[in-house]
Amino acid sequence: MPVDYVETLVAQKGAGFVFDNYQRNQFLASSDPQAFKMPDLKKTGTTICGVVCDGGVVLGADTRATAGDIVADKNCEKLHKMADNICCAGAGTAADLEHTTKKFAADLELMRLTLHRTPRVGTAVTMLSQHLFRYMGYVGCALVMGGVDPTGPSLYMIYPHGSTDRLPFASMGSGSLAAMSMLETGYKDDMTIEEGKKLVSEAILAGITNDLGSGGQVDLCVVTKDAYTMHRNIMAPYPRTRIPKPVMFPTGTTTVLEEVKMLKGRLEVTDADVEMRDA
Amino acid sequence: MMGEWSSGEGLQQHMQSHGSVPRPVSNPPMEHRFMPYQNNGGTVFAVAGPTYAVAMADTRLSSGMRILSRNTTKCTQLTSKCVVLTGGMQAEMVELHKRMKILITQYEHAHRREPSVNAVAQLLSTRLYFKRFFPYYTFNVVVGLDEEGKGAVYGYDAIGSFERIPYVSQGTGAELVTSVLDNQIGKTNQTKQLEPLDKTDLIDLAKDVIAAAGERDIYTGDYAEVYVIDETGVNKSKVDLRKE
Amino acid sequence: MASGTLSAPAPPFVMGVPSAACSRADEVGTGTTILAVSYKGGVVLAADTRTSAGAYVVNRASRKISKVHDKIYVCRSGSAADTQALTQFVKYYLNIHSLELGELPSVNTAATLFQSFHYDYKDMLMSGLIVAGWDGKRGGQIYSLPIGGSKIKVNVTAGGSGSVYISGLIDALYKEDMTKEEAQQLALKLLSHAMARDASSGGMVRMTTISEDGVEETTFEGDKLPTPA
Repeated sequence: MPVDYVETLVAQKGAGFVFDNYQRNQFLASSDPQAFKMPDLKKTGTTICGVVCDGGVVLGADTRATAGDIVADKNCEKLHKMADNICCAGAGTAADLEHTTKKFAADLELMRLTLHRTPRVGTAVTMLSQHLFRYMGYVGCALVMGGVDPTGPSLYMIYPHGSTDRLPFASMGSGSLAAMSMLETGYKDDMTIEEGKKLVSEAILAGITNDLGSGGQVDLCVVTKDAYTMHRNIMAPYPRTRIPKPVMFPTGTTTVLEEVKMLKGRLEVTDADVEMRDA
Repeated sequence: MMGEWSSGEGLQQHMQSHGSVPRPVSNPPMEHRFMPYQNNGGTVFAVAGPTYAVAMADTRLSSGMRILSRNTTKCTQLTSKCVVLTGGMQAEMVELHKRMKILITQYEHAHRREPSVNAVAQLLSTRLYFKRFFPYYTFNVVVGLDEEGKGAVYGYDAIGSFERIPYVSQGTGAELVTSVLDNQIGKTNQTKQLEPLDKTDLIDLAKDVIAAAGERDIYTGDYAEVYVIDETGVNKSKVDLRKE
Repeated sequence: MASGTLSAPAPPFVMGVPSAACSRADEVGTGTTILAVSYKGGVVLAADTRTSAGAYVVNRASRKISKVHDKIYVCRSGSAADTQALTQFVKYYLNIHSLELGELPSVNTAATLFQSFHYDYKDMLMSGLIVAGWDGKRGGQIYSLPIGGSKIKVNVTAGGSGSVYISGLIDALYKEDMTKEEAQQLALKLLSHAMARDASSGGMVRMTTISEDGVEETTFEGDKLPTPA
């Protein structure tokens, strides 16, 4: 059966989404998994955790994003602001986390404007878990969500398949075991915010030190009844050991193939006053 | 008019007409079998100079997402002017280095002298190829001074293909290291021929390079062993890398 | 069109069963231990509190007994995500039903709702439930809802991976028309035996007792159980 590529392309121009490549990829992936590998997604092999304190919650995260064995970002942000009273720490697929948290932050804000009420943490958790359940685990978000609402401070874990747990302290990501060992050792009921910050920092530090998927700096977020405070890079436990000597490349290091004459600037800059006009 | 490509059936028929039948993608059969190999990570590399050679290896030993040790050597001194460095699986490295030392001792007894670096390099190749169909999961570098007193670096694959080259890197950070070495040592893309680096600058560059690999490769870090091999012999030192 | 995925998803998160082992295709053993015992005038529901992923205990104080309506509760085993979502659905429909009815819904209605979801989505759900409660029509009732969509009315039942260790004990110790205290003591004994033997059950015992008089929730800490784990 002959296939006229050009005609097909012309016919499809402007016709919305085309799923040919999806089908082709499915075929390739199924025919020989050895020969055809799907590209790696950027994952945040991560340590995130949170603790409920007296009058607030403290959440923490490391700042390493990895793509396979390679550190893709040494200082990424894994603490997402969901609302003025809710913070969310994310582990899993970077793109999913970024988009999912952004979407629900927007939804919560719309909800706040509609209802004239501060959104509850439980509401945010329900919205997220229903979304994740719908996607059967394919949206790779593992979240620790905490905040303060009229019911008091609360902390939840949300798994990629959509199940949730409410706990006084929680950790997730590849460094969750290292972090949990610190939390189980150090947790007390009704800690002060300062004690909570110290415990969460220690837990994240344990992840950064002992888990290869975690690294970089410690980020903290403190949510109380009155304030949402982000402490970015509150701890930098492992600074650079060596600053490389700068390498200089003298002009002419690269072969010049062709010289392009710069066009004269077409912008004209005037110094005169310009009258403002109504739109 | 939509072409054949936009229809799922059309595509399947097209694929089938080329002889292979698409299989369902979900839940492929799981197979369990003995997997003797694991990669314990780490980066090693070496650079040859005119009268010396520099070799570098980090000391982190990992498994999966865990650090097993922050201070495990990947290097063994084989003769008074030859060192072997290995990336890949640590257990295989230990076995291989031990075997090399035994064979070199036997050589010394037989010939009443040390083998040359060239001879050691050939020996390693033979040992690796001996296990052609159940290879040592190792990626090796042999570095030393040759019989003329010139820096010598040999790079290998896992089954004994080897060649003498000006510089080589192996292990999980090899790609990161190679790009810098190509630019700074090989000068593969530079038209202006600058003075080659002197010994101190080269050692400094090597340290910068392993530190840079430690910045981006999660399996490289903790410390790096620095070997400078010159007419005085094998000089070993250590530098700090990131421990996260 | 073949249904497939771009990248393999993480194995579903399961209460009690090593998650790597359950690829959804061959899910037989469900984790945890849950049980319900009926007595004269009501029912007792009990569950352990361990949720694990492989060898790691993800939550050592989980709640596997969920409220569906004022006097109807459900013990959940299987996929945490599936059973939580399912419970939310049934809760929603049952609430609407109750409002239309103008009275408390019957336990049978709740169980039937769960059953129809189980049956309709049997290829997608990994869920084993025990629905129990009290209503004015039939008093205390227990319904066992295993995977597949069946609904069995029982006087006593246990579910989850730990249940296999105590089936003989249930047969030996269960009597009809026990007092509330006897039923609670039996539930505690049964559960602590299961938790002692089953690696994927443990932590504490949470118990919910439902009768005409109301709902009572109790927790027994792990180191204060009749059979030490």
